[in-house]
Amino acid sequence: MTLNEFPLIALAAISCWGVGSILQIPAAKSKLFQGISWLFLLLGSAVLVLFLTSYWIVLERPPLRTLGETRLWYATLIPLVGFLVEYRWKIKWLKYYCIGLASFFLIINYAYPDVFEKALMPALQSPWFIPHVVVYLVAYVLLAASAVSGWHNVLLNFRSKRSTVSESMSHYLALLGFVLLTFGLVFGALWAKEAWGHYWTWDPKETWAFISWLAYLGYLHLVARKTDPRSLQWYLGLSFIVLLVCWFGVNYLPSAQNSVHTYSG
Amino acid sequence: MQSSNNPVQAGSSSGGFTKPAIFTVTAILAGLVIEGLTSGSGITVPGWPANFYFLLVFSVAIAFVGLRFREKALVSWLGGIPVGLSLIIGLALLSLVGGVVPQDPAGPDSLASRLRLNGMFSSWPFAFVTLLFLFNLGLSFIWKAVPFRVANLQFMLFHGGFWIALSCGLLGSSDLQRLVIPLYEGQESSIAYEMPSEKPVHVPYSIYLKEFVINEYVPQLALYDPEGDKVIADKSRMLPEAKKGAKAEWPGIATVTVLDYLPSAAPDAKGNPVPALNRKGVSVVKVRVVEDGKSYDEWITDGGPDVKPRFIPVGKYFLVMKAGPPKAFRSDVMIKGIDGERRTELLEVNKPVDFRGWKLYQMGYDEKAGRWSTMSLVEAVHDPWLPAVYCGFFMIMAGNLLYFWKGVKKMEAA
Ligand code: HEM
Repeated sequence: MTLNEFPLIALAAISCWGVGSILQIPAAKSKLFQGISWLFLLLGSAVLVLFLTSYWIVLERPPLRTLGETRLWYATLIPLVGFLVEYRWKIKWLKYYCIGLASFFLIINYAYPDVFEKALMPALQSPWFIPHVVVYLVAYVLLAASAVSGWHNVLLNFRSKRSTVSESMSHYLALLGFVLLTFGLVFGALWAKEAWGHYWTWDPKETWAFISWLAYLGYLHLVARKTDPRSLQWYLGLSFIVLLVCWFGVNYLPSAQNSVHTYSG
Repeated sequence: MQSSNNPVQAGSSSGGFTKPAIFTVTAILAGLVIEGLTSGSGITVPGWPANFYFLLVFSVAIAFVGLRFREKALVSWLGGIPVGLSLIIGLALLSLVGGVVPQDPAGPDSLASRLRLNGMFSSWPFAFVTLLFLFNLGLSFIWKAVPFRVANLQFMLFHGGFWIALSCGLLGSSDLQRLVIPLYEGQESSIAYEMPSEKPVHVPYSIYLKEFVINEYVPQLALYDPEGDKVIADKSRMLPEAKKGAKAEWPGIATVTVLDYLPSAAPDAKGNPVPALNRKGVSVVKVRVVEDGKSYDEWITDGGPDVKPRFIPVGKYFLVMKAGPPKAFRSDVMIKGIDGERRTELLEVNKPVDFRGWKLYQMGYDEKAGRWSTMSLVEAVHDPWLPAVYCGFFMIMAGNLLYFWKGVKKMEAA
């Protein structure tokens, strides 16, 4: 499959998720509806997995080069985090946010179609390419989920309906996200040494990756100091904005004009 | 995990952070004042061995202060989390400025250059904050390291690893040499250039370039519109590849079938392209064009040093060949040490070669000549502090693994 089929795929995925979400209403009372609802929810993700796989085959390289391609991964993985969280913590609302975010990414990709291109510049043809990008992707997915649940907790607190289970969930998502962010950063440095001659050059993308890492480092130390978890929900929600700048915003900054990383535009 | 009714602890009230914040802001302001007075001259890290002695004295001082004056309020404050946190935020803010303001030379009178905002990572504010950061981090490390407890291993790996990577990376930057060596086919060179000053430097080896080779991706076919000066294409659809047997359709204009693709060809006596073995060959695509029911066979090329580009008029458009971007480029070289050791190596992007403490990278080539370039740019990097920095990286990764492990376990218990 190529990008020609993408609009159809996006529509199919969003519809499946939509139907599955609506069926969650009768699912509360009926085992049968619960099964059907989950079938649709998982089908939505399966469609995207299928698309990614076949797109990878057609491209003859992993579809991880452009921002649009990474959004595709994001849209595929983030609802899965929501599903896993429900499976693990029995928290139901997270998946709707995740589906919403994923649909948003699919719509961006529909509105701004990517250039379909097989070429992978030589510096990217490295054994480090996949581990580095995948680790980062999963980190972003987890931290996005943690931010979403952070904002949700902020709302709950406003309505005096504080949930400590939900707070511990946003914490663990952030913790795992930080671990992967750290690996991503170090892998990136090791790769840069092999590809560009130096492990760290304060290139804008590197600088922003460092800033977002520091933001979550700050979070962990606030936790170590037993800061009130209610204020930390704000912190988690806001940190993700830094991460978004690092991810999508850097290309538009004045400092990025000479960046070696802006190929992913 | 914190329990829900955990009261806010006295130390973490915002008051606990006021002094550390003032401390950090003072350090930044002091740095900015120095930059302002010296019109942004920045800080020059001393080279070997002064940087090494500095590191030694600094670490011994941290260990001494940490172990001897641990009970003193000031010292425990300096090594505590509130100061650490505000320095983390200070570092993040300085990096933010460095990540937004272009880090290039700016006009000497611009505000950015007078305060060295355009050279943030070698500026006094940055140096002060990192120095205090290292001091604070070092104290927290030494307190967890002495007395040694296995339970503190993760903490020590994380904090110690970051301390080593940051200090050695920054202090070692003055001993880092990154040089560019231009090589020409059939010639030998031991002259490298410092960038961007282009100051020549003799390196203790010479490199002989036997051959420079570029592999390109398969070329693509495109319909060029001379009026609009653009290629007619649907952005999300790939331009048709010039693979043998491939078929491309521009509805209402023409249908093109690729009869043959010769990656390296030259015209024979009659002007027809035949495969060429020498390096001067051009890529040629033979096609069958069907236009308004007429069908004819032709060939196109984007040309080269000895062959002009060739295209086919199709209606008011031109069928052209678009060369593929470079897929790989490599230099076949012989490296000679001053003692006469010789080594044949292939330099390729992502596959640097080590030669006596130097790492040699395939960097670039003459882009105007493209695949016919006989010049290759090699980057030579000498970084004696690299093993220390990597040691820090591996400690961070080991700490990270332990942290992940502990996190998952706690989660399972939750
Ligand atoms: C600014 C200097 C720093 C200071 C003063 C500091 C201090 C501390 C302290 C006191 C703790 C609590 C340990 C405990 O409760 O047992 C801690 C935890 C931690 N620190 Fe740092 N740290 C600093 C920088 C860093 C850096 C640069 C890293 C990463 C490389 C890091 C990663 C961590 C991690 C992952 C934890 C564990 C938190 C947890 O167990 O929940 N810290 N730090």
